Amino acid sequence: MKKILVLVVAAMMLLTASASAVTIGFSQIGQESDWRTANTDSIKAAIADEGWDLVYDDAQQKQENQVKALRNFISQGVDYILFTGVVSTGWDEVLKEVNEAEIPLILVDRMPEQTTLDAIEYVAAFGGDFVEEGRRMAYWAANYVEKIGKADQEMNLVILEGTTGADAASGRQEGIMEVLENYPNLKVIASQTGNFTRAEGQTVMESFLKAHEKIDILLAHNDDMALGAVESIKAAGKDPGEDIIIIGCDAPKTAFDAIIAGDMNATIECTPLYGPFVTDAVKKLIAGEEMSKTIIHPEEGAFDVEGGIVYSADGRLSEKAADVIDSRLY
Amino acid sequence: MKRKLAGNAFLKSKLFWAIVAEFLILLVGFILRPDFLSIQLRTLADGTRVLYGTPIDIFNRSAEITLIAMGMTLVIALGGTDISVGALVAVAGAIALKFLRWDVLIYNTPGDYTVKPYFYAIAVPLIVCALMGLFNGSLIAKLKIQPIIATLILMVGGRGIAQIITNGKQFTTQYSPFKFIGNGSILGIPFPIIITLVVVVAVMVFVRKTSFGMFVESVGINPSASRLSGLKSGTIIMIVYTLTGFLSGISGLIYSSRISSNDSNNAGLGYEMDAILAVVIGGTSMTGGKFSLFGTVVGSLIIRTITTLVMYFGVVSEAIMAFKALIIAVVIVLQSEPVRNAIAKRRERRHLNIGGEMHA
Repeated sequence: MKKILVLVVAAMMLLTASASAVTIGFSQIGQESDWRTANTDSIKAAIADEGWDLVYDDAQQKQENQVKALRNFISQGVDYILFTGVVSTGWDEVLKEVNEAEIPLILVDRMPEQTTLDAIEYVAAFGGDFVEEGRRMAYWAANYVEKIGKADQEMNLVILEGTTGADAASGRQEGIMEVLENYPNLKVIASQTGNFTRAEGQTVMESFLKAHEKIDILLAHNDDMALGAVESIKAAGKDPGEDIIIIGCDAPKTAFDAIIAGDMNATIECTPLYGPFVTDAVKKLIAGEEMSKTIIHPEEGAFDVEGGIVYSADGRLSEKAADVIDSRLY
Repeated sequence: MKRKLAGNAFLKSKLFWAIVAEFLILLVGFILRPDFLSIQLRTLADGTRVLYGTPIDIFNRSAEITLIAMGMTLVIALGGTDISVGALVAVAGAIALKFLRWDVLIYNTPGDYTVKPYFYAIAVPLIVCALMGLFNGSLIAKLKIQPIIATLILMVGGRGIAQIITNGKQFTTQYSPFKFIGNGSILGIPFPIIITLVVVVAVMVFVRKTSFGMFVESVGINPSASRLSGLKSGTIIMIVYTLTGFLSGISGLIYSSRISSNDSNNAGLGYEMDAILAVVIGGTSMTGGKFSLFGTVVGSLIIRTITTLVMYFGVVSEAIMAFKALIIAVVIVLQSEPVRNAIAKRRERRHLNIGGEMHA
């Protein structure tokens, strides 16, 4: 009896599922980091909350897998396609096929290169603003230096760059340099790639410390490299967060832990939580609203030990890491 | 006379030129900035005193590659190759952090530390990596699969296994006994250097004080002849690959301990190539046969010295790869047979000339 009941319920669920209005195909890059996992989880959860169907494909960092996935979505006749590309080039052909099949395309996170964006049709785009993240790191640093009363002193600054050639690395570097021009007392004495990894952040910082007597500020293109650098700074007999001001980017939970423990000073957020954006966009499209082709950047914060430090040109104030850590999902 | 010949043979050997190359690179660093070779004693926040300086970094950071390259030397001496070592580094880290995770969940929560998970966090990764090495060895010895293909399986699959073990997540631990492996020091010497020293000496003793090294060379030079003369080549192959897996495991523990975390994507990435390069620069031929463990240590130090030099002098990020390749190219050209012969010949000619004058 119970079994039959279960079967009936299952059948009803199947019916309602197939009766749901929307099927979304999502071609994800892979699961290379906690950030990416949080990104996938957020989108999956938001779509499940709406009761829509999701056809999910994990491309395992391979472009050819993504091309295959997109073609599968077309032949399955999904209603919407979500897409984030592992690289920025080589998408013209397959995305034009998506256009020809008249499936609305929504771009998330990593965008194809500008010429591709100009050549194809898409209904909405949501992505991070790496240049702005770089600017914010530099603003936070400059304002913090002012707050601790060292604005008139010459401060030596080192940068741990992300993977050479990656959008996130070049964008953040551009933003940092742009803002630092206004603060001649913050002098960049070294800048090298740490490939976005903890291990290389650690070894590169170790060399920075040997090559330069006085380092006051470290800007790391992501928090993993900052966390690696913390170990090197400790191993040099210095106090991270005190002797050297450390600012990272991304804002995962591990960075919050480090800030609360006093090992890092601040982290600039780069949110992976695109789920709600995507479902909102789809709802608007269903309602017949038109969305713009410009890339929409999510609201992002900055988090540090005490909060209240200006981290952007438009005067946003940082939040206290300890206050928000419990609500962090990743 | 005999002595002069031996001297000449050493001059002709790749190992000699590897040592020359290492000194040249260090010399360049020293000329550019004498600080490059300075070593001092520093006191850390917890009161421990450690040796501090670039030369220490070179020894310390070369540990991971040196350990793996010890095994790789024997693998290559057998005429094989093992490209799964980098993935095994990731596997070891994943397992270790999985066990530590039981006790220490987050950065700031001091857990109820017991000996048990720590013991497992060290022992299980080493055992699993050794078994994976044995798996490689069995494929090669029993199923006669070519080494590069056999080890390709775990090179591709290993990182996947590491991902599955940790559910695709990156764990962080602040458990100090584990952090000690990569970050601690004894009498001021970083612990990874001590581990490496012990392992290098142990492998050298095992290989040279028993007949094992001779067996390896014999199988590497002519497997069929070795088998016909009664050597169990299959067993030797399996022992060597198991050892390489085990050493990759130690390397993986050091790597993950240094970053207090597992990193299935990046841990040990490219280590197989660095290890092979270290072996080759050290004078062991890819065709198998004779090998030099000491040469491999020098090779590994050369690779690390180049990396350290590049970071120390702040070569721009875009140029790092090309710059490293350039130095390695110079080292390898210096070691190539025609160049070595040409240099040795010039020396011989000079000796002959001197001899001629004496006769006259």
